[in-house]
Amino acid sequence: MQEIFEAPIPGKILVVNITAQNTIQESGAVCIIEAMKMENPIMSPVKGSVKEILVSPNTIVTTGDKSAVIEY
Amino acid sequence: MGEVVRGATAQKIEEYKRKREYILQMGGPEAIEERHKKGQMSARERIDYFFDPGTFTEIGLWIKHRTTAFGMDKREVTAEGIVTGFGKVNGRHVVAGAEDYTAMMGTFGEYHGKKLSYAIDFAKNKGWPFITMNDSAGARLHEGMDTLESYGWTFKSQILASGIIPQVSLLMGPCLGGQAYHPVMMDFVIQTRKTGFMGIAGPAFVKTQTGEEISLEELSGWKNHAIKSGQTHIVAEDDKDCLDKCKELLSFFPPNSKEKPPRIETKDSPEREIPEFDTIIPDEPTTPYNMHEIIKEIVDEGQFVEIFKDYAANAICGFAHMDGRPVGIVSNQPMVKAGVLDINACDKLARFIRFCDLFNIPLVSLTDCPGYMIGSEQDWAGILRHGAKLLYAWADATVPLISVIIRKSYAGAHYGMLDKSIGADFVFAWPTARVTIVGADTAASVIFAKEIREAENPEEVRAKRIKEYSELYESPYPAAERGYIDDIIMPHDTRKVVNKALDILEYKLEHKEVARPWRKYSNINL
Repeated sequence: MQEIFEAPIPGKILVVNITAQNTIQESGAVCIIEAMKMENPIMSPVKGSVKEILVSPNTIVTTGDKSAVIEY
Repeated sequence: MGEVVRGATAQKIEEYKRKREYILQMGGPEAIEERHKKGQMSARERIDYFFDPGTFTEIGLWIKHRTTAFGMDKREVTAEGIVTGFGKVNGRHVVAGAEDYTAMMGTFGEYHGKKLSYAIDFAKNKGWPFITMNDSAGARLHEGMDTLESYGWTFKSQILASGIIPQVSLLMGPCLGGQAYHPVMMDFVIQTRKTGFMGIAGPAFVKTQTGEEISLEELSGWKNHAIKSGQTHIVAEDDKDCLDKCKELLSFFPPNSKEKPPRIETKDSPEREIPEFDTIIPDEPTTPYNMHEIIKEIVDEGQFVEIFKDYAANAICGFAHMDGRPVGIVSNQPMVKAGVLDINACDKLARFIRFCDLFNIPLVSLTDCPGYMIGSEQDWAGILRHGAKLLYAWADATVPLISVIIRKSYAGAHYGMLDKSIGADFVFAWPTARVTIVGADTAASVIFAKEIREAENPEEVRAKRIKEYSELYESPYPAAERGYIDDIIMPHDTRKVVNKALDILEYKLEHKEVARPWRKYSNINL
């Protein structure tokens, strides 16, 4: 099964907290999007393995932009 | 005088018992066993579990359809596939209609609908809450227009009862097609995780008309409505959990709009101090924290019944008690999308506020909100129109309205989350509050645009001007100096201060402190 993370809010990627092929825990932060006066952590709803990362710091995203793919 | 038949009375009693027993056994033991295998209760088992023992009185047990087409003249549908009546739940009157899937799959025909709309009218006239237990395969197509007309009777009955009595739909089985307007127009929908389905059309209709292939679970299941569409308020694990959650919800409501919600005994001191609040706000305003930790501490005994938990989680709403009084809590969640007011959050909060106002439930707003969501996506989708619903909801409300500004209260969030100008009776703020028209970075960029642009070191000038604006305006003091904030309070005193305000406002409605000229209703943006 795959979980494709889409940005929930438009903003700027501040930090990417995951690295490819590594494990991410449930409720672990995938990345942080700076938007609306807040550093918004984007949490993983599942525990899994990071297959692909599609954003990097300073990437401007809009709602729905794919940011990462997690396999679980 | 006719001939006297010996035993005629006994025969009549026997006939009555036989007929009654036939109806009470619903679709028969095998059909009921099928339900049990799926982990579901029958309609009458649901009624028995829901009402206090021995209090349920059935209405319309004998009602039968009058259709003859397509073999319907030979078809018995016990109680027309819906059990209706009234009884007591935790000692208070409630009216209910429970659809019976074992009787012709609970299909909705002319008299099924008549029973349902009659029960709603009955509840409205008595001033008692109404509950539907939905479990129906949909329209009984054999009856043609009589079925369609009957939907309309039901809709009109529930709409005319809306705002007079609380109405809750328990989606324990399917409810698909136009019939699904019935649950969605109730005040609250509680959907069971595995067996409750709701939608404007089921997968078969969708495939025929559009070619889309999709499963019933994906199209009409709980995830769709509790997370995506915002049409299911609470998710339940199974039938019993669904009925229990409904009873819990009813405990916050008055029986009708003319009465107050029931106050209960509590062992939780109304003056309890909460020392953790003095350190809960992060030093950095861009760092989120979990608003649920604040809500849980402020309310009685940490009990908070959240509405729309998984939908627009950047906003929070739900019921709790404070000093034993039912209250509606409205808040933001800084952990999700900065706690911003986007379209879905506005829709969610506005309908909740209006429900509380209709049923005399005081509202407490806890604000940490950067404002309404900006940008093309939300602007084009109508954030102004949806955001306006919140403003209408607050300004129209006549119940006690108390606002506590925890941290951010910028721009539209100030009135969108309840301030004095839109109708708050009391506004309190923590020393951590940042109450101003716009963030310092934005303000400095606008006011000092030319100066920054022409400076030798623009970033240095920008930073200096941001700091200057922030020190002057990003605090609770300018608003308190004008009286827009009644008091700046120590965070640990919040529960005490809110309970005092609720005491003072106890008779706000009776004193008719809110006098307004008559009108049909406000023209709220929809």
